[in-house]
Amino acid sequence: MKNQVSKRWQRWVNRRLPRSDVQTFSQKNIFILPTGAGVVFGILLLIMLITGINYQNSLIYLVTFLLGAVFVGAMHQTHRNLSGLQLALVQPGEGVAGDEVPFRFRATAGRDDAVAILLSCEEFSLGATHIRAGQSKDMTLPVPSAYRGYLRPERIRVETRFPFGLLKAWSWIRPVSPGIVSPRPLAAPEVTSTVEAGEETEQASPATGNDHADLRPWREGDPSQRVMWKRFARNGQMVVADWEGERGSPHWLDFNAFPGADYELRLSYLAWLVNERERTGARFGLSLPGQVIEPDSGSTHVNRCLRALAVWGEERPRDAVTERHGSRRQKSDNAAGPSRRRA
Amino acid sequence: MSVSDGSSVLVAADGAATGLPSRALLWLFGSFAILLTPQLDRLPIWLIAACLVLAGWRGAAQFGHVRLPGRWLRTGIMLVLVAVYIATVQGRFTVDTAASFFVLAVGLKWLETRTVRDFYVLFFILAYLGTVNFLFHQEIHWSLVNILAVALLLVGLQIINAPDLPGSVKAGWKRLGLMLLKTLPIVVLLFVFFPRMEPLWSVPLVSGQARTGISDTMRPGDISNLAQSSERAFRATFGGQLPAYRDRYWRGLILDYLDGETWRQSERDPLQRPGRVALDGGVGELETGEYDVLLEPTDQRWAFALEGSRAVSSNVIEESNDLFRFRRPADTSVRYRLAREDAGNQARESLTYEQRRRYLQLPATGNPRARQFARDLRTQYGDVELVRALLTRFREEPYFYTLRPPTMGENGIDNLLFDSQRGFCAHYAGATTFLLRSAGIPARVVVGYQGGAPGAGGDYLIVRQYDAHAWVEVWIGDRGWVRIDPTAAIAPSRIESGLRDAVADEGSFLENNWASPQRYADIAVIQWASLQLDRINYQWQRWIVGYQGQTQMNLMSRLPGGFGMRELGYLTAGIVGAGLLIAGLISAWQMRRGGSRDAFLRIIGGWHHLSARAGVPVRVGETPSTLAARLARAEPAVAESARLFAHSINSHYYSDGSSAGRDRELKRLRRLLQTMKKQLRRRHSTTGKRS
Repeated sequence: MKNQVSKRWQRWVNRRLPRSDVQTFSQKNIFILPTGAGVVFGILLLIMLITGINYQNSLIYLVTFLLGAVFVGAMHQTHRNLSGLQLALVQPGEGVAGDEVPFRFRATAGRDDAVAILLSCEEFSLGATHIRAGQSKDMTLPVPSAYRGYLRPERIRVETRFPFGLLKAWSWIRPVSPGIVSPRPLAAPEVTSTVEAGEETEQASPATGNDHADLRPWREGDPSQRVMWKRFARNGQMVVADWEGERGSPHWLDFNAFPGADYELRLSYLAWLVNERERTGARFGLSLPGQVIEPDSGSTHVNRCLRALAVWGEERPRDAVTERHGSRRQKSDNAAGPSRRRA
Repeated sequence: MSVSDGSSVLVAADGAATGLPSRALLWLFGSFAILLTPQLDRLPIWLIAACLVLAGWRGAAQFGHVRLPGRWLRTGIMLVLVAVYIATVQGRFTVDTAASFFVLAVGLKWLETRTVRDFYVLFFILAYLGTVNFLFHQEIHWSLVNILAVALLLVGLQIINAPDLPGSVKAGWKRLGLMLLKTLPIVVLLFVFFPRMEPLWSVPLVSGQARTGISDTMRPGDISNLAQSSERAFRATFGGQLPAYRDRYWRGLILDYLDGETWRQSERDPLQRPGRVALDGGVGELETGEYDVLLEPTDQRWAFALEGSRAVSSNVIEESNDLFRFRRPADTSVRYRLAREDAGNQARESLTYEQRRRYLQLPATGNPRARQFARDLRTQYGDVELVRALLTRFREEPYFYTLRPPTMGENGIDNLLFDSQRGFCAHYAGATTFLLRSAGIPARVVVGYQGGAPGAGGDYLIVRQYDAHAWVEVWIGDRGWVRIDPTAAIAPSRIESGLRDAVADEGSFLENNWASPQRYADIAVIQWASLQLDRINYQWQRWIVGYQGQTQMNLMSRLPGGFGMRELGYLTAGIVGAGLLIAGLISAWQMRRGGSRDAFLRIIGGWHHLSARAGVPVRVGETPSTLAARLARAEPAVAESARLFAHSINSHYYSDGSSAGRDRELKRLRRLLQTMKKQLRRRHSTTGKRS
C-alpha cells in the first residue's frame, strides 16, 4: 500500500519534472513543507496561544500572531529562495563503479538571491551554496555508482531551508545526460601468454606452436590485424583467423582471454589490465566483442578504452526512459546485450 | 576530516563545543540578556548570577578559553541549581516560581548548546521566555524590548542557516523587517478579530513577591515609606470634568481594629482560591459621572474608588462600607469602571450594637494622656462640636506635616499629640481615630490615595504611590459616616495640590528616590517627556493590553450583523485563509511577471515554447539564428518566418533601442510568431489527414 502510494507519488513527480539537463525551478515544481523545527515551532505557537488565552494576555496573542506571520512569511521566502533558480548539468561525471562519480552542475540564480542551496544525491550532499541574483556558480556533486555503464541519477535534489530553517523547499533535477562508469578493476589472473616475447609483428600471424586456428568470415568490428590479408589478396574474401595463441598477446587486451569468466568479471579484469598498461606506459589495444580499439598509449587512449569497457553492451539511456536510478531494466530488453549478473 | 593529523583531531574534539558559528550564537546571547532584563526585579539574585555564569561559560567555551562541562559535571551543576531553586521556592507553586524555573532551565541549556539542534531548542525556549515576560510586564517599552529580543532570535536563525553568507546581518534585519511589514495587516486583523476565549483552565498568577503599595495594616510610618515611591498606583479617566483635587479621595480599605500601634481590618478578607481576576473593565464611552480606573497589579482584591461610587463594570463588586473588591486578586493590571453618585441618596442606616462596638474598639492600655484629653473634650462638646474642636486644634496648634517624623516610642499617640507634634498622615489619622474612639464616637481609619496629577493632555489622572493617604471617617448620628482629614487641617496644601507642595519647605519629596522622573518635575522637559511616555503607555494598556473579551465583543457589536464568538471564529479562519490566498496570488503574479518583465523576452519565450513543441528545444547558449536554422530543418514550413523572426530579434538587440522602433519591432515579432503558429498548425492538420 505504502509502496503503491510512493510509486504513484514518484510518477507524479516525474511527470512534473521531465528529464532535462537544465531545470528552472518555479511554482510548478517546487515542493515545500515544514521541517522538524518548523513542526516544533508550530507546537510552540500553539502553546503560546494557550498561554495567551489562559492568562487573557493580549500581548501574548500579539506576539503569537507576529510569529505566525513570520512563519507564513518564511514560507514565501523559502519558496522564493529556490524559485527562479536554474540548475544545469554542465558535465556528467566519469568514474569507477562503486565510487562516487562527480557531476558538475551550474546553478544560476534568478531575480532573487539563492541562499543556502543544498544539492544532494542519495546520501551525498554538498555544503550550502549562496548565489547572488543573476549570478552563476558551479558545483560538483558526487553521485554514487553501483554498476559500470551509463550512470544517470534518477533525481538530484536541490533544497533550501533559508531563512529560518523552519521550512524546506525542494525540487529535483533529473538529468538526461548520463555519466560513464567504468568497471571496477579487478586484478586479472595470469594470462596464458603463448606469444613469445620480442615478436612484435603488427600483422596477425599464426604464432609458432599454435596448433589451431578458426577461420571465419569477417564481421564488422573484427580487428583489421586479424584479417588474413594474404587470403584476401588471393581471392578477395575477408577471412579472419581466430588464433588461440593471440589471446595471450601482451599488446592486446582481449575480452575472450578469460574463458569461463563472467562477462562483468572479464570487463573488470580488462579495466585492471588497462590501468596496469597505463602505469607502465605500454602500448596496448583493446578487443571487445563488437568493438576493437587499436593499440596506442597515453591518457586519451586509456580513457577511450575505459569508456569502451564502461558502456560495452549498454545502451545509452534515452530521454523518454524514466528508469529508476541504478535499475538495469533496459538490459533485459536489449536482446543483443549479454546477460549479466551483478558485478 | 583527516584523522592522521594530530592537530586536526584536537580541533575536532574542541569542535564539539564550538561547532556553532559564533556569529549566530551571539544573537542568542544578546536575546537572552535582553529577555532577562524585564525579570530582573522579580528573579532572585542567585538565579540571575547563575544565568550569567552559565551563559558566560558557554561564551568563553565558544572562544576556546574553557571547555564545556562533561556530562557528569553538567548533571552536577544542574542538580545543585535545582536544589537551590527548590530550597528558595519552599513548595510555593505559582506562575512566578514556575517562570523562575523556566529561566533556570534556559540558563542550564546554555551548557549543552553544541549542535544546530541545540541551537533550535534554545531558540524555542528563548522565544517562550519572551512570552513569559509578557505575563509580568505589559508596558509598551517592555513589550518593545521583548519583541526586539524575539527579533534578535529570528536574525540569529537566519545566520545559523547561512553562516558564511557575507552581509547576512544587514540582509537578515531587512528581510525580517519587510516580512513583518508585509504581514502586518494580517497580524492586526487577527489581533482584532481572533476570538478572546475564556481561560481554558484556571491559572493563578499571584506571585507572592512584595509589591509596592498600601497594605491591609497600618503602622505609624508605613505610608511615609510609601511616599518615597513614585511608582504608579493607577490611572483614571473621567467622563466629564475631573473632580477637584481636594475631592480626589480614593478609598481603598477600612482599618478599624487597633492592635497596639498597628491598625488592622477587624474582618480579614476571606482566603481566596487562586484564580484570575476578570479583566473586562466595561466598554463604551464614559457617561458623565462615570470613571474608568486602570489599576497596576497589586496582588490584592481591593479596588480604589471615589467616595459615593457604584460599580459599573462587572469585574468589581461593591461590598459593605462603600468598598469595592475584585473577585480575585489583581495579579495583572486591571481596568474597572465606576460611577459617582450624587451624595445624599446613600442609605443611612444606623450602626448595630456589634458595629458600634467594633468602631469603638481600643487597646486596653496605652496613651493615657490622649485618653484623658478625649474625656475632657467629651465633657465639653457634643459629637459634631468635638470633631470640629479636634480639627481646630490640629489647625491652630503647631502641628507639622513631615516625611521625616521622629520615632514615637511607647505611647506614640501621646507623643505625637502633645510632644513632638510632627507626623505624617498615618500618624494623624491613627491619633484622630484614637481620640474619637476614646471620646466614645465611632470612627475608623480609611486607607487609599488622595490626589492624582493630570497626565499629558489633562484628560486623565495619574495616581502614584506617594499619593497614598490615610484619613478618618467618623459616625455622626444623623449624617452617617463623615470623612474628616486631620492632614487637611495641618497641611492644607497636601490636600489641595499634593505631597510635593506639602513638603516643599522640608525638601523631602522623593528624597531617597533620585532616579524618579517625578522628583525632577520642576524641569519642564523631564516632566513633559515623562507625561508623554505615560500617555502612550496608558493608551497602550487600555487599548492593546486591555483588549480582551468584553472589549472585543463591544467593538464587534458596533459592526453590522451581530458578531458572536462563533462568527469571530469563522472570521478569523477567513482572514487567515484569505491572507494566505492573497499572498499566494501575489507571489504567483510576481512569478509570472518575473518571467516576462520584458515584452521581447516574453515573445522570445513564446518562440522557444513553439520550437520545443515542434521538437526543437532550445539549447543552452544558442543564438536565435541557429535555432531558426534548426527549426527550419525540422519544420520547413516555418523556415522563412523563423529566419525573419531571428533576424528581427538580432536587429533589436543590436540596435540602439529607440522607443519608436521598439514598438514596431514588437508588433512585427508578434505577427511572425502568430504566422509560425498558424503554419505549424496547418502542417500538422495536413499530415494528420494524410495519415
